[in-house]
Amino acid sequence: MRQTFYSGGWLYAALVAPILILIFTFFYLPVGLAFYWSFFLEKPFGGGSQFVGLENFARVLLDAGFWSSLWRTFLFMMLAASFGILLALLLALAADRGIRTSRIARNVLIWPKAIAGASIGIVFTFIFNPFLGLFAPLNEVFPGLWNPRIDGADAFATVVIAQVWTGIPFNFIILLSGLQTIPDTLIKAAAMDGASAWRRVRDIQLPLLTPQLFLTFVLEFVQTAVDPFGLIDTMTNGGPGDSTTLLIYKIYTDGFHSYDLSGAATQTVLLMLFVIAMVLVQFRLEKRVKYER
Amino acid sequence: MKLTFLIASALAVASAATAAKAADIEFWYGNTGVIEKSIQDSCVAFNASQSQHKVTCVGQGSYEVAMQKAIAAYRAKKAPVLMQFFDAGTLDLMLSGAVEPVSTALPDVNWKDYLGGARSFYETAKGELLSQPYNGSTLILYGNREMLAKVGITSLPATYEALIDDARKLKDAGIDCPFATDGHPWRVLEQFAARHGAAIATKHNGYDGLDAVYSFNKGIVADHMQNLKAWRDAGLIRLQQDTKTGKYDAAFNTGECAMIEGSTGGYGAAYKALGDKVVIGLAPMYEGKTRHNTLIGGASIWIMKGHSPAELAAGKAFLDFLRRDDQQIEFAGKTGYLPMTGTAMVALKASGKSGDPQFATAELGVTSLDEPATEDSRGVRLGFYVQFRDVFMKETQKAFNGEKMMQQALDDAAQQGNDLLRRFEKTYSGAALQ
Repeated sequence: MRQTFYSGGWLYAALVAPILILIFTFFYLPVGLAFYWSFFLEKPFGGGSQFVGLENFARVLLDAGFWSSLWRTFLFMMLAASFGILLALLLALAADRGIRTSRIARNVLIWPKAIAGASIGIVFTFIFNPFLGLFAPLNEVFPGLWNPRIDGADAFATVVIAQVWTGIPFNFIILLSGLQTIPDTLIKAAAMDGASAWRRVRDIQLPLLTPQLFLTFVLEFVQTAVDPFGLIDTMTNGGPGDSTTLLIYKIYTDGFHSYDLSGAATQTVLLMLFVIAMVLVQFRLEKRVKYER
Repeated sequence: MKLTFLIASALAVASAATAAKAADIEFWYGNTGVIEKSIQDSCVAFNASQSQHKVTCVGQGSYEVAMQKAIAAYRAKKAPVLMQFFDAGTLDLMLSGAVEPVSTALPDVNWKDYLGGARSFYETAKGELLSQPYNGSTLILYGNREMLAKVGITSLPATYEALIDDARKLKDAGIDCPFATDGHPWRVLEQFAARHGAAIATKHNGYDGLDAVYSFNKGIVADHMQNLKAWRDAGLIRLQQDTKTGKYDAAFNTGECAMIEGSTGGYGAAYKALGDKVVIGLAPMYEGKTRHNTLIGGASIWIMKGHSPAELAAGKAFLDFLRRDDQQIEFAGKTGYLPMTGTAMVALKASGKSGDPQFATAELGVTSLDEPATEDSRGVRLGFYVQFRDVFMKETQKAFNGEKMMQQALDDAAQQGNDLLRRFEKTYSGAALQ
């Protein structure tokens, strides 16, 4: 007997249709169009595009700017994801131990999740302002030491910090909930056997937390590849030079600033393949991990 | 589903409304601040002056954003009748097939009355004028009288050599920012090359064919960029990134910097902030070089295709209104943009107002535009030029922050620019320069 609540297939279809339509219109259709455009040279104002085969791919792949922004994207993913998870893990471990203020911290740490990337970007622009911000006193002593407006490394660091800051809340929730599923008895038993706090983290909590850690890594990688757009657009516009032009921002500037729809579509396809490849590598790695459960 | 229905019905109502009142048109522009306010004033004045048409003026935040939105709107067949596009987009628009030349749409207007510098920028080889020059500006030198007077400088420097001497004096007197620039190619490349009679690309900056090649990385422009880098390193000039406000014009208007090269269109804001402390002069030259004309900057109004005759009539009426002498003079007085026609200039002089401080840019700007022209100072007709400006900024910033040598940065910018030109050529293969 079918375990159903509704009768007839049409009702199912009707109930599922809205979300399918949304996914189709806002995901599969644009992705399909990006694939399509990547084989054409598209005029900015429309009115005729010509088939150029793989020429767009050849152009993008031979462009040094594409590779440097891909490398920067990779570096950004590594840095932002690692710090975003590491700091969240430290906070989660602390909150899990039930030290004073941890109940409040659990609440407060989740709030930043509700702030849009662009707003965070604007706030951090003020915080890192070379004349008014946090490091302004440093500049008083050593003029020109800190200036993310013109120094590429400074600018890259500000975007990484902002991204880490936005990533922490979500990772924190996932990791904390993971920690809380670990049976208390295990920790207590270990403590009675004389295991130090650090020992308990290393030998009990971290191994039992691997599923959550893996999840946050996968999500962070995808997130840091496609998410920093709002930050970059408000904080650096990809500059100075192209030091903060990650691939996601380059696609936007090429497509909308420079009317290079074909190039932008081609890079979208390549970015998608890149992210998929990264995630596949991670799933490969995951197979090697033996969950201790 | 309910939401979709609501949206659908809202759209239906909206389109019904436009159909019912066909002479209700939109004009999109990119300016902000003092200039935006003046544009809105013109719209209100037009709507009040007659009852047949109604124009709604919509600000898009910046020239670049306005152009992006216009492209998207045109592709969706929702483009406004009138659209303000900036100088750099000229060739892209010319070949887009999305615009109708104003001289075709309004054949009875005496377009020859427009300043030569404006015409040459927006005219096809056949002599059609593509768009109606609107907020035309050019590059001038701004100085802060009070700051300059501190070290006994009474007049603005006419040459870069003198400018740097002055900068040194100012710096010694404790003024940290004698001169500021944003390093934008409109200032340091296009206007600089034009008034020094140098080309930035072969084929007379692209006027003679789509197969032009960038050439600015050798010669006087390259020397100038090297100098800017050396002067910045010596602390004699500042990039806008080194200033407190982060914007070269704001740095001048707040009294942080003593001099800037800026558009006449910024005069309204500068005068509002500094009053008669603002002194202006022709943009500096290098010693021993003959001065040629500067280019018309700012933007012009284009008629976009795909509209009904009634909408076009409304668009034309608004263009006629903006072209009126009194309207041009009023707009110039509020913003610092230049009167764009000979008759408007005559009318301004006849009105006896040309001596007023708010019209100070008009005579100077027109003088600068009217210096002897060469084949290379007509304008810039290079494809994907908006993107090239980004490339130029990006590469030269790398030189300013020490990532690479200036010459290398210029060579790289030229190389990437040439790739853009070749792709443009291919995108519009078969299209000839009209």
